[in-house]
Amino acid sequence: MSDFKIHEREGAGVSVLELKGYLDAHTAPELESAFQKLLSTKKYNIVVNCKDLSYISSAGLGVFMAFIEDVRKNRGDIKLTNMSPKVYNVFDLLGFPILYEIYKEEEEAVKRFNEVKHV
Amino acid sequence: MDRLKRILYIFLPIVFFLFVFVLDVVNRSYRIEEEAVRYTREFLIVTAFLLLYLFMESTGKRYNRGSAKEIGRLLVGCIAVLGWIGVNTLFPAARFVEQEGAFVPFSATTILFSEILCIAVGIFSIRMVLSIRTLVMTKPKRGTKRMFAFLLIAVLLSSGAALPFIPVDIAVVGSIAFGAGIVLSILNSFKQNWIVYLSRREKIYTIVYSLLLFLGFVGLNIVLNERTFLRSSLEYFSVPLSRFVQLNAIFGGVYFGMSLFSTLFHLPTAEVYERKQFELSSLHNLSRLINQVFDFHDLVNTVTQMTLEVVGAKSAWLELVQEEKGEGERPLHVVSRKNISQEEIEIFNRAAGNALRQVVLDSKKVLSIDNVATDRRTKELKRSDLPVGSLLTVPLLSHGELIGFLHATKDFAGGFDQDDIEVLTTFCDNVTIAIENSKLIVRSIERERLQQEMMVAQQMQRRLLPQSLPVYENVEIAAISEPSLEVGGDYFDFVRIDDEKLGVVVGDVSGKGVSAAFYMAEVKGIFQSLSKVYPMPKEMLIHANETLLGSLERKAFISMVYGIIDTKRGILYYSRAGHCPPIYLSDGTSELLRPNGLGLGLTNGRLFEKSTEERIIRLKTGDICVFYTDGLAEARNSSGVELGYEGLLEIAKDVKPSSAHDIKQHIWSEVRNYMGGSTYTDDMTLVVIKWLGTSARPA
Repeated sequence: MSDFKIHEREGAGVSVLELKGYLDAHTAPELESAFQKLLSTKKYNIVVNCKDLSYISSAGLGVFMAFIEDVRKNRGDIKLTNMSPKVYNVFDLLGFPILYEIYKEEEEAVKRFNEVKHV
Repeated sequence: MDRLKRILYIFLPIVFFLFVFVLDVVNRSYRIEEEAVRYTREFLIVTAFLLLYLFMESTGKRYNRGSAKEIGRLLVGCIAVLGWIGVNTLFPAARFVEQEGAFVPFSATTILFSEILCIAVGIFSIRMVLSIRTLVMTKPKRGTKRMFAFLLIAVLLSSGAALPFIPVDIAVVGSIAFGAGIVLSILNSFKQNWIVYLSRREKIYTIVYSLLLFLGFVGLNIVLNERTFLRSSLEYFSVPLSRFVQLNAIFGGVYFGMSLFSTLFHLPTAEVYERKQFELSSLHNLSRLINQVFDFHDLVNTVTQMTLEVVGAKSAWLELVQEEKGEGERPLHVVSRKNISQEEIEIFNRAAGNALRQVVLDSKKVLSIDNVATDRRTKELKRSDLPVGSLLTVPLLSHGELIGFLHATKDFAGGFDQDDIEVLTTFCDNVTIAIENSKLIVRSIERERLQQEMMVAQQMQRRLLPQSLPVYENVEIAAISEPSLEVGGDYFDFVRIDDEKLGVVVGDVSGKGVSAAFYMAEVKGIFQSLSKVYPMPKEMLIHANETLLGSLERKAFISMVYGIIDTKRGILYYSRAGHCPPIYLSDGTSELLRPNGLGLGLTNGRLFEKSTEERIIRLKTGDICVFYTDGLAEARNSSGVELGYEGLLEIAKDVKPSSAHDIKQHIWSEVRNYMGGSTYTDDMTLVVIKWLGTSARPA
């Protein structure tokens, strides 16, 4: 079940993490270390593209909670995009849309980051 | 018995020698020219020496001294004998008078002196043969033993030919044997293997001893060949003994002369040999290395220490590839270092180390930089001020996979030869095994520990769940909770808020394992206490959130559905804190109750309060409410397809009007059917509440 992959991209001052596969208690540490790496290099504008994310468990959700505070303290954000309805449902049940900006498309999230920067 | 034998070996010769002495003294005065007397004499002398030989051999075997000590003792004997010969010249009585071609003792005292001297020289000769035999037999080759035996035969033949009863024409055999003895002495003198195994110090001693022994034997030979008291004594006492001593004196001279030169030639290589021997013993110590696998720190420390010892390196350090990281980079970590600081290692890495490691990694072979100053790969290193003249970098490979590097340096060029490289490579093979074993042990201990923890957590979890269900006249309650193989975080509980109100909670603590079990305990405490203080669901959840925010770690949160049933009036108040939406079945309709709500421990009180709803349902008789955890909604069938909330709702819809218990059983078995044979990966909890209506209450 550890079919989980993270692909990292950089573009226009925004770091994009593409998630693929199952994000559960076993694979959550991988996402954790990916976030840690971004934070250690002071990259706080993070978009998480969930296009190929097929499953997320509560442990997976916890990873976002673990980092959001630090990211926002540094005037950055974690924005989530391209969720399948099933994955969105998990986020939604827990009330994540209240806490996180969730976009349909990655471009929107990136655009949003850039708008904030220009203001 | 053994002791008795040895006493006999000593005692009999003394008696025999005394007898011979008496015989000789008598003979001198009365001149008994009997053949029988001469035969008896020789027989006694030969037997006595034979017994002495047996005695000396049996005692010599018991002590295994080093070769240097052995010849040291021989030297002492030699000096004693020569000294005794010298002392004899001081006595005027110690001389023979030549009469009619034969030696005649000057007086009876002469006989005494001469016989003591002969016995001493004889014993010394035997001692010498035994000593040289142990030297010759060091690391013998196939023919060694035979060659020495031939020599002994030659010596005995030449001596035996001089026995009185041997006819003169056969005595020529003696001369041939004597010549053969000299040749065999020379041949045996090439067996000097023992010198190789001496330490440098012992070699120096050996040179001195050999020189003195050589001179001693030359002196003895001179004394034996000149007309001296010794020569006369031997001829008088026993001609065979005389031959024996003479031939042995030649053998001794040749042998120790050869020893002297061999040792001299070996002296320059003594240090190398000592080092090799040290390397061997160091490698032997590897077995100890293997035993140290229980303490990783000790193990790596020994590895670097032994690197210094084995190849005589000035500094050494061991770096291992770190595990437990994700894919991609696998940083190296210096786990032990000797005579080099972390800063110096970093300088080394910047100057050359990183590039060199790549070379090693590509070739998977040991890399030797013989001269840092001239090698193009270490130009940078030369410029840094590190005292490195030559270096070795050995990869530690386990099943072809790199697990680390061992580095050794010396502060001069050309410090490592081919032997060093080979020894260190062998060493590293063993180090790799030891490290891998150590890791395996750590892992299995860790696994054991986790299993223990898991068991404790599972027991704890079981005890935190209600042991019995509350019983009400108007409400039927059924519940089941099944933990997964690992410890999950499902939680359900009931609380009697007052006589009429019953609180029902179903929750899920994020994550698994021991921490989840602990959070569950905390949640239970919070729920049991706060539910009585705050009688409405949202109110209670707001305060629970507040309490949990301060104590949960950041990535942890808790989802929860909290319902309060007014068992008197049939009203359900409920709030959903990020949990799975309960199923509500009423009058043939079915619905997922999904008021807005945030998980507990996610955000501060104000946002939580704003985002969380509280709803009310006025229950009709036969209404059913199903609380559950995501384990049910996320149950997968054999092809990996999730049941989903709608799927669960479909199952719940089909229930026949029956008791809460039967409904619970129905849903449970349907979900299990859906899953087929696959084991559930998450905890599953199901709580069914059925409102029986106020009419059920007796009037």
